[in-house]
Amino acid sequence: MSNEAELLPGTLDLLILKAVSLGPLHGYGVLLRIGQISGQALLIEQGALYPALFRLVRQGVLKASWGRSENNRRAKFYELTSTGRKRLREETDGWNRLAAAIASALAAQPQEI
Amino acid sequence: MKFLAHLRSLAARFFHRSQTEDEIEEELRSHIQHRVEDLERSGLDHDKAERGARIEFGSTERFKEECREELGGNFIDSVIQDFRFSFRTLRKSPAFFAVAVVTLALGIGATVAAFSVVNAVLLRPYGFSQPERLLWIYSQRPDNARTNFSLPEYCDYRDQNTSFDGLGAIASYNVSLSDLGQTERVQGVRMSANAFEILGLRPLLGRALSAADDRNGAPAVVMISYGLWSGRYGKDQAIVGRSVNLNGESREIVGVLPSSFALPNLDTDIVVPLQPDSDPRRNARNSVNFLRMVGRLKTQVTAPQAHAELDSIRQNLHRQFPDTYTGKVGITIVPLTEEIVTNVRAVLLTIFCAAGAVFLIGCTNLAGISLSRAGARQRELAVRTALGATRSQLTRLLLVESFILAMIGGSLGLLLEIWGQAFLLRLVPTDLPRIATFSIDSKVFIFAFFVTLVATLVCGLAPAWLLSRSDLRDALVSGGRGSSGGGMQSRLRTWLVAGQIALALVLLANAGLLFRSFARLSSEQPGFDSSNLLTVRFSLPGVTYPDRAAIVQFYEKLQPQLAKLPGIGSVALVSILPLAPKSISFIHFTRPDRPPGKPEDTPSTNYRIVGPDYFRAMGIPLFAGRYFTEEDDGNRPPVAIVSTVLANNHFPDRSPIGQRVLIDDTDGNPRPVEIVGVVGPVKQTNLETPAKADIYLPLRQIPKDGVPFLRNSTYWVLKTSPGAPAIEPLLRAAIRNVDANVAVGDVRPMTEVMAAALASRRFSLLLVGSFAGAALFLAAAGLYAVISYGIQQRTQEIGVRLALGATHGSILGMIFKEGSLLLGTGIAAGLAIALVVAKFVANQMYGVSEHDPFSFLVVSLLLAAISLLACWIAARRALNVDPVVALRAE
Repeated sequence: MSNEAELLPGTLDLLILKAVSLGPLHGYGVLLRIGQISGQALLIEQGALYPALFRLVRQGVLKASWGRSENNRRAKFYELTSTGRKRLREETDGWNRLAAAIASALAAQPQEI
Repeated sequence: MKFLAHLRSLAARFFHRSQTEDEIEEELRSHIQHRVEDLERSGLDHDKAERGARIEFGSTERFKEECREELGGNFIDSVIQDFRFSFRTLRKSPAFFAVAVVTLALGIGATVAAFSVVNAVLLRPYGFSQPERLLWIYSQRPDNARTNFSLPEYCDYRDQNTSFDGLGAIASYNVSLSDLGQTERVQGVRMSANAFEILGLRPLLGRALSAADDRNGAPAVVMISYGLWSGRYGKDQAIVGRSVNLNGESREIVGVLPSSFALPNLDTDIVVPLQPDSDPRRNARNSVNFLRMVGRLKTQVTAPQAHAELDSIRQNLHRQFPDTYTGKVGITIVPLTEEIVTNVRAVLLTIFCAAGAVFLIGCTNLAGISLSRAGARQRELAVRTALGATRSQLTRLLLVESFILAMIGGSLGLLLEIWGQAFLLRLVPTDLPRIATFSIDSKVFIFAFFVTLVATLVCGLAPAWLLSRSDLRDALVSGGRGSSGGGMQSRLRTWLVAGQIALALVLLANAGLLFRSFARLSSEQPGFDSSNLLTVRFSLPGVTYPDRAAIVQFYEKLQPQLAKLPGIGSVALVSILPLAPKSISFIHFTRPDRPPGKPEDTPSTNYRIVGPDYFRAMGIPLFAGRYFTEEDDGNRPPVAIVSTVLANNHFPDRSPIGQRVLIDDTDGNPRPVEIVGVVGPVKQTNLETPAKADIYLPLRQIPKDGVPFLRNSTYWVLKTSPGAPAIEPLLRAAIRNVDANVAVGDVRPMTEVMAAALASRRFSLLLVGSFAGAALFLAAAGLYAVISYGIQQRTQEIGVRLALGATHGSILGMIFKEGSLLLGTGIAAGLAIALVVAKFVANQMYGVSEHDPFSFLVVSLLLAAISLLACWIAARRALNVDPVVALRAE
């Protein structure tokens, strides 16, 4: 359990965008992909994925279409729109800045002050 | 982009609800089945895999709900659900439902009714094009800023000015109208035919008058009002082209005026062309002043510039004709649409504000009740929160509830207004312009809807606000009693009630001031005795009554006929009845031995032509000299009777009896008359202004120029003995006997004429008074509710106190202390507001100051008494508390 981390609020959307940016996915696929790219470190409540997907579709950053999954089941596939790609770039930059700032803050030593 | 996507998803959701529902279902199911397959692949058997997948997924119902919410369309579902739920809740508390709906229906009904009158009179467009450029113009005299122009004067202004796109002239014109065997007195205007073009007025039917109608020898035409068309002619679409008889002259109806049409202080039953240039007075410089003017400003010209130009024309005329234009010291220029409503605006707005205040008090009352209900429902709401309802969902629920109440109340209020319209019209004084064609239009509906929304917000937001401030988890723990929200709630309610009391006091104070003014005015002595006095007005056809001899002959035939009627004391004729609406007649006069220093200082006096018995019939006392007799005719030297006001002002040095004054009542030079009597002062135009100077002339000596005026309008007054039978039919028959072509107007007792003079005040007093009464009741009810709610919350505490030996008196004292604090705050605030707003009603006061301490004191005491009574009724319940029961109440 020690290598699992709770998601920070607001980061689920970013992870979904990233996962989908690597190729169109259905909902369960998004879940697997996030597990795969995060090294199984992030814990996601499975059902919570869907309200997030619906929200992103409504915001126009994802588009959805019905298709066939690899095990030949009907499934709804999500892919990024151009707004979505832009949003992903912006949020990635934002996240990196935030992470760098926090990392630098946490690395501060008494003599540096 | 986002917005479009949102709309699309909303639309998809709305139009394909079951389809989306299925899709969500299918998507989630697909997820779980994928998971099940993965788990099976890792070695679990099917049942275990299925159970595991479901547990990992979490509550499908919750996520489905969240998905729906993300789609947006969910809002509609939830609101529908809220509506269903609210209806159930309201059905469970019928008493609250009834109180709320009735309060709202009355409040909204009253406000909408007041608005519909304001709309009909003040807001409705007049049908003029660009009305803001239309000006109404009077001649200004030293003692009166609103007097008339003579015909040559009008023509000079019309021809010389460069500020107006046209200048029209208007005179009042009261005639008898007959066709289809019916004769009726109608009150209309003669208007220079260019005036329609100036006003930019479109006729409802037919055509408007045009410049051609003013040409010499143009066919005789007339336009009729909407009122006349719908009343007398039953909205006959084929009315145009029909001929009617006006004062014995045949005229063709060419058009019908729109219902929105009105002119300042003039009735417009009919409009005929003035034909100023072919009028015999066209060049008679000294002729009578009977015209008002209306002009349309040119686009580049401002009203002050136009005023300056007209004034310089006036000064030129003054230099040219110094004798004729002596008293004409200026020009009064006012926006036309303002002048039409100038006398009624303040009254109507007062009434409207009063209705609005009652509505607000009603709403706050309901807000108070819903606050208590929210307090009582805190447990229910807390459970809902615990089950996952968000605060915004709860607020929505409360708003939906108050919306339902407001919609039902508002619809009932609107229905009430529609049903009550006829009653309202009977109540409204007839001198409100355009009120006769009042109707409920779309603006009234929009206003009603707006008021309903306000009611929703006021009643629903208070409990919602309370909710946002209180911790509902406390409510669960403490069982809904003594929670932090309870304190907040009762504080909020207390403020609401104090506010209600303040508003009620403002209304009561206003009603009190209006009542005092009304009482003062009603007790004013008009200068005559109105008891057992009957009045009738009629006009004589011009063709058969061309001169004084004909009128005198008519008088001589009618007088004995009327005197013969049963129960009649004295009978007399008068040119204008005291307090008759919209009738003015005055002249200038001089005392030959004291000519005025400057021509414009020439004094003026009311001018009345009377029969010999007039003063006896009216009970106007004779102070010196004699009354007129039948011998004061054309063969004897002209005589006059003056009032004490004129005598005191102009003959302070000697008795006026036997003195001569020069009166200017003809188109020629002033003529001398000898004063033979002095009578008491009479309030001729209204009860408010003190009596002015009066001069009376005998009928048999009227000058030639006075004939048309007397022909257009004559009153008879008949003094009857007390308890005399109704003689109206006999009276009408007697007049018909003498001449069937005479148009007889209303037969009215003089007391009714006096009541009409007070009608507009009675109207506002009645309305503001009943609104104040309603406010008083609502505020007292609010206080009662808040006090009894407090007692109910503290039953246990009271029980303990009683058990520990507190007397009934001390408990009562405790409750009363709270009530009086509330009351005191409310009254103090109300007095402060009332003193400030008093200046807006100052011009409706008569004989009392708008800060009249007596009125303020009385209404404060009244409010305090009623409120304390409400307190006492509530407190009695506290005393009935049995300590044992109260302690067990837990």
